[in-house]
Amino acid sequence: MEYLPVVSTYAQSIDDAILLIAVLVGFWTVLTFTLFFWLIFRYRARPGQRAGYVTGEERQPKRFITIAHMLVLVCDVFIVIAAIRVWVDVKQTLPTAPETQTVRVIGQQWAWSFVHPGPDGVLDTADDIKSVDELHIEVGRPYIYELVSRDVLHDFSVPAFRLKQDAIPGRIIQGWFEATDTGSFDIQCAEMCGIGHGLMPGRLVIETPEQHAAWMARQGQAAGRALLASGRASG
Amino acid sequence: MSNTVVNHLRTGLTAGLTGCAALLLVTFTPPPGGAAAQSLAQGRELFQLCAQCHGDAGEGDPAPGVAAPAIAGLPAWYLTRQLENFKSGARGRHFDDLEGLRMRPMALSLNHAGDIEAVAAYTAALPVRLPEPSVEGDATAGGQLYPLCASCHGVHGEGSEPQGGPPLHIQGDWYLRAQLVKYKEGVRGVHPQDTWGLMMRPMALVLTSEKSLDDMIAYIMTLPGEPAAAPAK
Repeated sequence: MEYLPVVSTYAQSIDDAILLIAVLVGFWTVLTFTLFFWLIFRYRARPGQRAGYVTGEERQPKRFITIAHMLVLVCDVFIVIAAIRVWVDVKQTLPTAPETQTVRVIGQQWAWSFVHPGPDGVLDTADDIKSVDELHIEVGRPYIYELVSRDVLHDFSVPAFRLKQDAIPGRIIQGWFEATDTGSFDIQCAEMCGIGHGLMPGRLVIETPEQHAAWMARQGQAAGRALLASGRASG
Repeated sequence: MSNTVVNHLRTGLTAGLTGCAALLLVTFTPPPGGAAAQSLAQGRELFQLCAQCHGDAGEGDPAPGVAAPAIAGLPAWYLTRQLENFKSGARGRHFDDLEGLRMRPMALSLNHAGDIEAVAAYTAALPVRLPEPSVEGDATAGGQLYPLCASCHGVHGEGSEPQGGPPLHIQGDWYLRAQLVKYKEGVRGVHPQDTWGLMMRPMALVLTSEKSLDDMIAYIMTLPGEPAAAPAK
């Protein structure tokens, strides 16, 4: 059963890292508590029997701690290696494929806004498409996002991508994603940003190249109509 | 079964049913004052959210990052219309409408039947606080253009429900100016469902210069909101 859709190229590797941590930490947790309660029961108070005092300085009694400690450290090494591999892939690397496009993600109290490259595929040109609440992308295409905030701290969170990134006023933070399936998914703010923090949901719409081209064409027509209406009103 | 047992059962059943009926009556009886008082209480409770930006008395806050207009005393029909516009996205869903985007989720949170009407009625009943002017302009020059506005907003800035124009004299000049700029730039009054906004936009476009904007605002701030009292005979 799938609790949360896996819709980015790196989502599974993040899930795997979390599973590895859960299994290793879970193993030691269960073992420790089992031993703990067994020792409490096994060496419970008995009439006429005094408790021994262990100073922790002798090698023989200390080995129960030392050996377990070493084994936990070995597990830590596995966790660190897994975490660094995921971190480097998700946070330290940007895609370089020629089909990569850039989108701008803007957080503000209390909405997400987006700037998409238009048909020319380049951001900050005349055909850019601006939207509120909805980010439209193509499945199978790598995207670099430029995350900015208009006011306070926000956090761009896309659970289906396993993506979370703080937006910090005054900074442009880059990251990337590549969708592996089409559909509509939640965008949330994961950083407390004021009274409307819980009321700024967005939608990520992942489309096939044909659907995305059709969406861009509709946006272009809408912009044209608005421009025409503006011209009529001012003229 | 003996008669005594049957009588006891009957007495117990009657007492139980009477108790349940009394409980239901207490639970579903509206508080004193009836539906109006209940609606007022609902409006007061909902207004706590508005007060976060608009102030406890609905006096507004022009501070950057808040920029919340005065809402105390605005007519309920106007408040209702704006809240519905915010909810539907007809207002406050433009990429460049920073303040509108802040307001929109607040309107979306009014999602129970009667919420909008209750909070609009409560806000409309709050005492008006006349704003201090902050925009400098030539009121006389502004007055030359005002007849265009008067057809909807009234000769005295009192507003008109049939014409859809809200009262202007109780609003802060900084807010009026900001909205005129939004209309001019197509940030407000461009959504197909914003019927009244679509009508307002061409009016704002008449104010072609910064000076004409300031002059108009300066004139609006001189409006009394009601006809001057006739001199005593």
